[in-house]
Amino acid sequence: MSLQWSGEQVVAKFPDVQANTMAVDCMGVWVALAGRRAISMVNLKKPKEKPLKSARQSKWDVSCVQWNQVPSHLNLFVTAYNQKLDLHSWKDSNITSLCSMKGHSRTVSDVSWSPSDPNKILSCSVDTFINLWDVNDPRKPVRSFQTVSGAYQVKWNRLSENMFATTHEGELRIWDIREGTSPVQYIAAHLSKIHGLDWNPNSKSELATCSQDCSVKFWDINNPRQCKGSLNPGSPVWRARYTPFGQGIVTVVVPQLRRGDNSLHLWNTARSNPVHQFVGHQDVILEFQWRKQPEGSVDHQLITWSKDQSLRVWKIDSQLQKRCGHDMGEMNDSSENESSQGGRESVSQNSMHENDLETDHGNKDFQRQMSMSPDSVVFQQPQTLEQEFELMNTNIPHIQVEELDAVKRTCSVSAVSRNFNIGLRMQFPENYPCSEPPTFEFLESNLNYDIKRQLHKVMLDTALMHAKRNTSCLEPCLRQLSLALNQPYNFRPEERKTPDPEPARPFNLSWHPTKPPYNSKPSYMAWHSPSGLQDINIPFPRTSGARFSAAGYLVVFGRSHEARKGPSGTEITPKALYDLTDFASKSRNRYPPKLYSIPFHQNYSISPPTPVAENVSISEWYMYRPKVTNQPKGKRKHRPKESTEVKPVLAPVKIYDSSCLLPIQKELGKNYIIDRSNIPAMCSHNAKAASAVGRKDLVQLWSLVALTASEKLKPQNNPDDELPWAQHPFGKEMIKYLFDFYMKIHDVQTLAMLVCVLWDRENAIVPPPKKEKASLLPQSTSMEYVPPNMDNPDFLSSSTDSGWLTAGSNLLKSFKTLTSHLQVHSTRPPPHTSVQSRLPSQHHLSEVSSHPDLANMTGVLKIRRSNSLSCLEDSFEDYRIEDEEGIKEKESERQAKIHENNCRLLDPSAQNQYDVFLMSYADILFHWGYTNNSKLVLKFMTHLPEPHTGIEFGVQCFHCSQDGRGAKCGSCKNLAFNCSICHIGVKGNSMFCLKCGHGGHTTHILDWFKENSQCPTGCSCRCVEAKSEITM
Amino acid sequence: MVSVINSIDTSHEDMIHDAQLDYYGTKLATCSSDRSIKIFDVKGGQQTLVTELRGHDGPVWQLAWAHPMFGNLIASCSYDRKVIIWKETNGSWGKLYEYQNHDSSVNSVNFAPHEFGLLLACGSSDGSISIISSTGDGTWDAKKIPNAHSIGCNAVSWAPPINPGDLLDPSGRHQPIKQLVSGGCDNLVKIWKEEDGQWKEDQKLEGHSDWVRDVAWAPSIGLPKSIIASCSQDLRVIIWTNDGNGWTQKVLNKFNDVIWHISWSITGNILATSGGDNKVKLR
Repeated sequence: MSLQWSGEQVVAKFPDVQANTMAVDCMGVWVALAGRRAISMVNLKKPKEKPLKSARQSKWDVSCVQWNQVPSHLNLFVTAYNQKLDLHSWKDSNITSLCSMKGHSRTVSDVSWSPSDPNKILSCSVDTFINLWDVNDPRKPVRSFQTVSGAYQVKWNRLSENMFATTHEGELRIWDIREGTSPVQYIAAHLSKIHGLDWNPNSKSELATCSQDCSVKFWDINNPRQCKGSLNPGSPVWRARYTPFGQGIVTVVVPQLRRGDNSLHLWNTARSNPVHQFVGHQDVILEFQWRKQPEGSVDHQLITWSKDQSLRVWKIDSQLQKRCGHDMGEMNDSSENESSQGGRESVSQNSMHENDLETDHGNKDFQRQMSMSPDSVVFQQPQTLEQEFELMNTNIPHIQVEELDAVKRTCSVSAVSRNFNIGLRMQFPENYPCSEPPTFEFLESNLNYDIKRQLHKVMLDTALMHAKRNTSCLEPCLRQLSLALNQPYNFRPEERKTPDPEPARPFNLSWHPTKPPYNSKPSYMAWHSPSGLQDINIPFPRTSGARFSAAGYLVVFGRSHEARKGPSGTEITPKALYDLTDFASKSRNRYPPKLYSIPFHQNYSISPPTPVAENVSISEWYMYRPKVTNQPKGKRKHRPKESTEVKPVLAPVKIYDSSCLLPIQKELGKNYIIDRSNIPAMCSHNAKAASAVGRKDLVQLWSLVALTASEKLKPQNNPDDELPWAQHPFGKEMIKYLFDFYMKIHDVQTLAMLVCVLWDRENAIVPPPKKEKASLLPQSTSMEYVPPNMDNPDFLSSSTDSGWLTAGSNLLKSFKTLTSHLQVHSTRPPPHTSVQSRLPSQHHLSEVSSHPDLANMTGVLKIRRSNSLSCLEDSFEDYRIEDEEGIKEKESERQAKIHENNCRLLDPSAQNQYDVFLMSYADILFHWGYTNNSKLVLKFMTHLPEPHTGIEFGVQCFHCSQDGRGAKCGSCKNLAFNCSICHIGVKGNSMFCLKCGHGGHTTHILDWFKENSQCPTGCSCRCVEAKSEITM
Repeated sequence: MVSVINSIDTSHEDMIHDAQLDYYGTKLATCSSDRSIKIFDVKGGQQTLVTELRGHDGPVWQLAWAHPMFGNLIASCSYDRKVIIWKETNGSWGKLYEYQNHDSSVNSVNFAPHEFGLLLACGSSDGSISIISSTGDGTWDAKKIPNAHSIGCNAVSWAPPINPGDLLDPSGRHQPIKQLVSGGCDNLVKIWKEEDGQWKEDQKLEGHSDWVRDVAWAPSIGLPKSIIASCSQDLRVIIWTNDGNGWTQKVLNKFNDVIWHISWSITGNILATSGGDNKVKLR
């Protein structure tokens, strides 16, 4: 229940508004913020807008501001300062001062408009007088009521028009203006000063007081001797006001005592605990008021103004309202029946159970959350057991879920670990998950009694904790079991025998080095600080880290040496933020450092979510030392709590230059040149650059590249002349080796540079996958011998003139490739069995040549000559049948391309990879700020980004309203664009407005706009201005 | 050796949870439990406070800089369930967009590679991951992966905009697929893939025995494999590699304390790890 966030809020910050009090008008539109220098008006419908200010010339602060309560006079408001009251009217964004009322001899402490008579105002002061004013006669009060002690607060009864109440230190007096000048009732309400007073909006005889004595009391004026009830927020209460719904009350702590607790609490008067906390203001809340909601709106709004100069609007949705109107603390409804108190929200809810609230209220917000993430454990609860089963993540180490039976309400799991083999059965009671945990039963296990008992306890504790919060617990229980089983060697029987040092701790099983959030804590601790319960699944904050940023920098942040470890020193850092909360509650118990820290159980929600009740910061966690408890009091001050003292916890953020760890050099990025026209010069330049930064390997590399790319080794144009250098082992092979090496060391810089030098993207043909080849060239019946290329580089090695041999298996493989080519390319179906073994000997080849089908072939069979195959040459000559010129040309083109590919030092099939090298390196150059170099590198990409196609304006046809392009409409063939001046279709130059789309012949339009600025069609578009708007 | 080139006293009032340099390494952004974000100019060794951004109502957990082609943009996520995108316009910083559609603390934010446009992933303790994208005309669009990790999502990281499978496939390049990796309280590392505009779970990597605290997809420099690093409350750092034949895991190291931050160098050759013991290790 306590985990519901409150609804959305509006935060409007007005840093230039100095106001110490605030009032919301009776229609809920205007907020008056009054201060010494000005009165500012904020429109709640547009709270983010700048407030309308009206300057004040006074040396006195405004002690009080209040709007007229009667809708017919809603523009009147009164301010009190020093001994005077000022009546103002707020009209047309102007504040007019109407009159001034002076009658007190000391500072006016409070004013109150009559809720029924728009002319009557009460004011009170410590001068012992309470004055009743009629605004029509401001010269002197209509009535004066005197008491022996000064009045501090005055409030009209909201329902009974003649009755009002005042406070005098700890006393409360009730007056009736018809009953003379003495009070009708005295109530000795509190032992110390009463700070606030409020009449119940639903009952004319009930009111609430709040006091320095840390209590809020409820009174019935008909029974002044007995307090009707009270709340004990634990700190002096500044203001307590009834909620307009249900039987709630909102309290705020006395400003001087609010140390860091700048929040409001919402209470149900029937309960002793608050139901909600509104957290957000960074400073003292100066005033809070309810805004009148328009008819039909379910949600209420609370407006708060704080010293932090922000105005906040808090939405109180039906969920929260119900909590104020209905007793939610217990499962039974008998304790309180509030319908007698007339809360209008509460009438229908008397029979509502706690879980009903969550399921079927039709609260929109709640359903929205449900639909978004149906089973996030803490925030959205599965509603039924069935749902829980469905949503459960069964991926838990060591645990096998065997049976989930939602009807019988059982779940069977088995757990197998190194030493254990356990069968477990869980039985879920009817009321589960509401306050009843499931029961656990071990079916079969090889565990001894002790360990079994421990495991049982682990799960039961988890289950109990969840049951208290009425949340489902199956998965957490199983995860705990899994954790416990996972590290069985940490079960230490001897530890268990020693007396438990912490009796609250359910058992002393230290099988996990960290403090598991679920079970190693006494469950009441969780109950103590439920603001932390929501943190159970939020990871423990990171307090140190290292991030590689940009190029070559490493940013390191962390704690200072003083804050090296958590409270216990050697433990592993905990897992969840929850642990911090736990620490917070412990440390608070140990020494109550704040006089008025929240002593009550915080089993209510907070909005917005605030970690660990804001009281313990993560720094404190790290600076906490157990020793401190033994030190004398004076030293405790050293505990860092205030910002100035926290500083040593933080180590400065350091930026390291980690570039020496990277395989790339910024210097090189700057100094490398790319000049394809003069590769040797480029290489020697780059080699020098590399040697300057001490990369000897790169010096070698560049000289190697210079040699590889030298003129002498440039491949011949004629494929028959000479084997290209690329095919040499020191060609392609070596480059490949180099690439592999630099890829291994992640040197993308060198890789990209190599690509720049060696990769020629022009005419890069990529051998298409072989299967497609047949379909690509269906007509050309050419039988083609694919010369050695990258696809079958091993073939080359068979040539003896290159001086080295490879294994026969490779050779065979190449032949197979070759023959498969042959097979694919013959369109006729001759049996090619003979071809399979054709090449190795002349005998086989002649067999092929004699084949009748081959004789008919129109293609060209060509082979690279090499010594080993030269014997084939003659027989192949026969098949140079050249009949069709076109095919020949095409063929020779292909040949040339294939040859070109052979001459390449880089494998074209990896061109995508080369692009990525270039892109990655270009990106790094960009990081370094070498934008020009970066663009130079990108020029070598194979796949260039598509050029921008420009913007084309479409035309909607004047005649048939079809969208089209060009002058003529595609569907009706008329001229699509009509001149808005001469109403004739435009063929030639046209001009039109980008905003309204109207236009026409250039000359006409130009003439028109010489004198006019509006569109000629009368569409009221101010085309001339619109143009500048759009082109901005 | 690795040398300190700048040391910035941030004057945060509470613990710092993240610190990141922008694309060019000239601006440093830090965020803290004191609910503020500070941006420093660190160009040329200086350390000038440029601005202090306030707008979060809880500790700010993580930051992310966008690619400079979108302007000076920084995203922050906080305990207060909000994700805020801040923008610098004419030298002054302000809120550009506030995303409030998470129901619990948002633990991680990360901008996608710029090739995909202005796209931000957020992982939250409510178990879901949001992918927020700018439509370009000032409005923002959000997709949500509900229940990405039961209990909670602790970290998100985008994959580089390259399909490793395409690198050695000569038949041309395909449009890169948007992928991201996430880690959560269910001890899992999950890989998500966008298909037809829908985010789907692609892989589930099981290896950790406790909450996964951080995940980081290694940058691709053209190697035909994908690498992900993940670290966990179980004290281990796991390197996940996929060279086209499925993901294989390798435990990099078992540490003495929780590892909660991991970060790859730009070339992907070094991994920086940091954790509860306040130490940073590079490998």
